[in-house]
Formats: sequence, C-alpha cells, structure tokens
Amino acid sequence: MIPELIENAAVLMLYLDCDGNVALCNKKTESMIGVKPGDILGKNWLEVLFKDTSNAMKRDMFKAVLDDALTYKRAKDFECHLLSNHGDLRLICWNITPILDKNNQIQGSVLFGQDVTEIQERENSFKNIDDSLKNIISSINEYALYVVNLDGLITYFGMGCETMFGYNKPEIIFKHVSILHNIDKAALELGLILERVRLFGKHELEIELLTKAGRAIPVRLTINQFLDANNKLTGYIFIAKDITQTKKLEYQVFQAEKLAALGQLSAGMAHEINNPLFVVSGRLEMLRQEKLAPKLKETIDLIDSQVDRIRKLVDRILKFARKSTLALEPIDVNEIIELVLPLVHYNKLSPFKVEIKKSFEKNMPKVMASPDQLQEVFLNIIVNAYQSMPEGGVIKITTSSFQNLYAQVRIADTGSGISADNFKNIFMPFFSTKGQGLGLGLSICHNIIKNHNGSIELESRINQGTTFTIKLPFI
Amino acid sequence: MLYKILVVDDEAPVRDLLGDLFKKEDCLPITCGSGEEALAILNKETFDVVLLDIKLPGMSGLEVLKEIRAKFVNLPVVMITGFGFDEELIGKSKQLGCCGYIGKNMPVAQIIVTFMQFVKEAKERGNSFREGPASNEINYA
Repeated sequence: MIPELIENAAVLMLYLDCDGNVALCNKKTESMIGVKPGDILGKNWLEVLFKDTSNAMKRDMFKAVLDDALTYKRAKDFECHLLSNHGDLRLICWNITPILDKNNQIQGSVLFGQDVTEIQERENSFKNIDDSLKNIISSINEYALYVVNLDGLITYFGMGCETMFGYNKPEIIFKHVSILHNIDKAALELGLILERVRLFGKHELEIELLTKAGRAIPVRLTINQFLDANNKLTGYIFIAKDITQTKKLEYQVFQAEKLAALGQLSAGMAHEINNPLFVVSGRLEMLRQEKLAPKLKETIDLIDSQVDRIRKLVDRILKFARKSTLALEPIDVNEIIELVLPLVHYNKLSPFKVEIKKSFEKNMPKVMASPDQLQEVFLNIIVNAYQSMPEGGVIKITTSSFQNLYAQVRIADTGSGISADNFKNIFMPFFSTKGQGLGLGLSICHNIIKNHNGSIELESRINQGTTFTIKLPFI
Repeated sequence: MLYKILVVDDEAPVRDLLGDLFKKEDCLPITCGSGEEALAILNKETFDVVLLDIKLPGMSGLEVLKEIRAKFVNLPVVMITGFGFDEELIGKSKQLGCCGYIGKNMPVAQIIVTFMQFVKEAKERGNSFREGPASNEINYA
C-alpha cells in the first residue's frame, strides 16, 4: 500500500543515500525530469537536478541545505527551479528529512518536492494588483481622506492628507478637526456639517480648508457617517477633493464670458456715440471755416477739444471691444520684449530707480501673433509694474518654453501688489487703482491674449509684488 | 464738378453732413437712407463712387456692397462705419471688393481727404468710369 502510494503520488519523492546518490525515486520525479524509469538510480541527485551547470550557485545552495540537514539531523526546506521535460521551468518546494537508524546514525535522506509554480504565480498576481492599487491611491493626491470621532478629534489621517494639508500624522492625530478650518468660521461650519451628517447620513459641500502653512485651499468635501458593526455612529469620514484647478478654470471662463458680453455692449455703445460725435465735429469744422468773432472762435475750439476727448475715449473702448482678426506673423517673443523696453521710458515713470532683470530662454520656437498688439500688452504690463513701485524696485522679465507648447513670459515686480478685492476686477474695463487713466489697459491686454489663443494670469501679494504670466502657443 | 457721389447712411444728420462736406469739395452728392434705396437709385443713375455705411436697417452695408459688385463691377465703393477700424469689418469689406474704408471716428477733415484719395486711386487703376445699368453686361467671371 505505502509503496503504491509513493509511486503514484503527485509529489516528487526521492530517497538519497549518504553520498547524495539516488537510491529510490517515484514515477512523478522521473516523468517530470523526463528520464526513463530507473535511469537516475545511483546517480548524484544534484548533478541530475542541475544538469545545466550555469546554475552552479543554486546547486551549491541546495548542497549546503542538504549537508546541513544531514549534519544537524533536522528537516529543511528549499525552493529551486527545475527544467521539466516540457521545457518549462517549474518551481519546486523541497522538504528534506534525514533518515536515522536505531543508533541515531544517518542512513540517508528523503526528499519531497511539491510543484508550487501555480501558487507562486497567483501570489505574484495578487502582489501586482496590490502594488498597482497602492500606485493608484497614492497618485490620487488631490483627494484626502480623514476620520473624526464623535468628540471632533481626528483619529485617522489617511492617504493624501499629508500632501494636501502639510501636517504629518503624529502632529495631527487627536487634534480637533477645526484645525483644518478657518478659525472664525470653524464652529459654525463644523456644527452645520456634522448636524446634517447626523440627520441625513451624508453631506457634501464646497468649502475652503486651511493647510498647516495657513493657505486656504478650495475643496469639495464629502462627509459620511462612520458606523460600527452594530450600526452605531462612531465618527465621521471626511473626503476632501482639491478643486483649485477647477475653480481657476471656472473663474477664467466666467471672466472671459463677462468680458465678451461687455465687449459687445461697448462696441454697440461706441458705434452709437461715434455717429452723433461725427456730426458734431463735422459741423464744428464747417463752422470754423466761416468768418467768426474771436470770442465765438474760442468757444468753438473749446467744444472741439472736448469732442476730441470723447473721440479718444470711444476709440479706446472700441479697442477693448474688438475681436481682432489681424494678420498674424511668426514672432520671437524675446525680440518683442526687447523692442518694448526702450518705449517704457517715454511714459512718465517713477524717478526712483527701477532695475530691469532679464532672463530669456534662447532659441524658443516662434508664436503666431500681431507684433503691435503684443507690444501693447508687454508695454502695458511693464508700465503698470513701474507704477506700482513709486519708490523703486526690481522688474524681473523671464521667458521660457512651457511644456514645449507655449512661450511663457513672466513679468514680476516688487511693488505694492493688488488687494484681494481688487484682484477680482483687475481685467475689468474702467477699473483702475491708479486714479489716472481709463482703466482699460489690462482689459485690452486680456482680450489681445485671448484673441491669440493664449492665457494671462497673475499672482499678487500686498507689498510684495505682482507677477503676470502670459502663455502664447508656439506655431 | 469733381465726382458724383452716392452717400448711403441711415442717419439723416450724418448723410446731410457728408453731403454738405462734399458740396464744399465741388462734388455732387446724392444721399439716401438704406441699401435698398441705394440699389434702386444706381439702377437709374450713374455715379463716380458710392460712400456706404456698414450698419444699415434692412440690407447691411456689406450685403449692398456684394450686390453692387455683382451688378456694377467697376463702380468704386468706399465703406464708412461708426465701429472705427475693426479688422474683421475691414477684411470682409476688402474681400467683397470695396476700394477704401473710413472710420467715423477719424477727424472730419481727414475723412474727406482720405475719401478723395481712395476715389483718385480707383480712377487711376482704371475701374472708375461712370457706371450705369449698362455695365450689367460686364462679366468678370
């Protein structure tokens, strides 16, 4: 019975003598190695197993394990690959058991070999899934998941939280969740949120949370009840999604639409003003050619100068409103900026020293643009930068290639900066903080850049300065 | 008389002013307030040039220009508009075959000088002989 079992077992079984030669082996072993029955009897097992001498290291390791089992009279395990008669590599897990006689003397050893190839493959695939899950989760860094207990203390600060908020786990665990909220609103905000979650099981809202550095980030916050096994509320699960980019895009679209509507309105208005203005100035011109008393002539000149003022204003408005389809040409952005810089000095600018630092990327691809319009944009922004530094400062102009798609121009000043209230209106026509000029400059810049399929953005900090970033697509 | 001019503008004060200005330049201006009227007049009378407003009730100035080009191939047309120098309108007008473009926002004296210059150039190019219904037969295609 036992020999039969051994002979037909699905595992590899061998009996080696003290020298490691095969004394017995079952069918499974012979068929797997691909030898005729009895062929390997008396041969050194390790030489049979590792007939491919290139794997000498593995063979030496097996020998060491075998020696160890015999020397210390204990069972050992060992894994190695075996080239099967089908030509594929099978991973075999060996169990080596020394056989002792009555006097505790080594007789030889019994080897059981189990083919674990499939098991190993399955494990590997689990490991791959596990790895890729980890990759997926860690790359969703605009999400942060944290859990708060019924006392409002953060009990879990999970994936994405450290990146989003800048706190590390040890310093925030068991801190009150209000640490992530604006201190003035925290009590009210959290009270309302948690009340709703208790009532409805879930609540979603858009809100600003604070990072460790005190920066506010707009997030879409989803809060769910955290229930225990008995369906009892034990806390709240917060999932915050960073929506800074979405907000930014929404704002840009909103702004562009607003300006487009305003443009249309202004163009219509300007047209309606131009017609009567044309009649007034034409009739004045005709009057002027008559013989007039000097006093009357003076009056006509005065009216004419005021009419001229209106005309210039209307021209400016039309310029803002215009959807330009000017002839575009290939342009080197660096050259345009170089052309503009001498013009800056013609404007009435601060008597204090303003230093211009240039850092231009050479050999950038060209952009399709109207040179006049681009000059107007850069001139406008640089003049604004000057005006924001009445006591002098530095204007840094940097050009670079952005993702090989856009020419990027950054114009940074060290001036007074723009307050949050003014920031929203900065591209609006007739909005000015300077108390001089019409307030059309930046709205015209905005439209010009949009007409060139580019983008214009700015960052600003009060008393630290403002940076304009303009991107124009390469040809 | 220097030129016989058809002035098309829907605002009476504007066309009257233009008429008065042209009279002073020894021209003969005929004025009307719509594109439809202008085409009717052109079918009866011959002109040296048309001064055509772009924003008109009914047919727009651009549509009238297209019609004139089809019927009176060599009649010079100068476009005028309160929208100022709008590149899009200038482009379309040029495409449809105007010989000049004037913004009402220009100083008046300059408008007249520019207009006269456009007409003179068109005449020198040789496509400014007196136009009339007979020119229907001229076919560019």
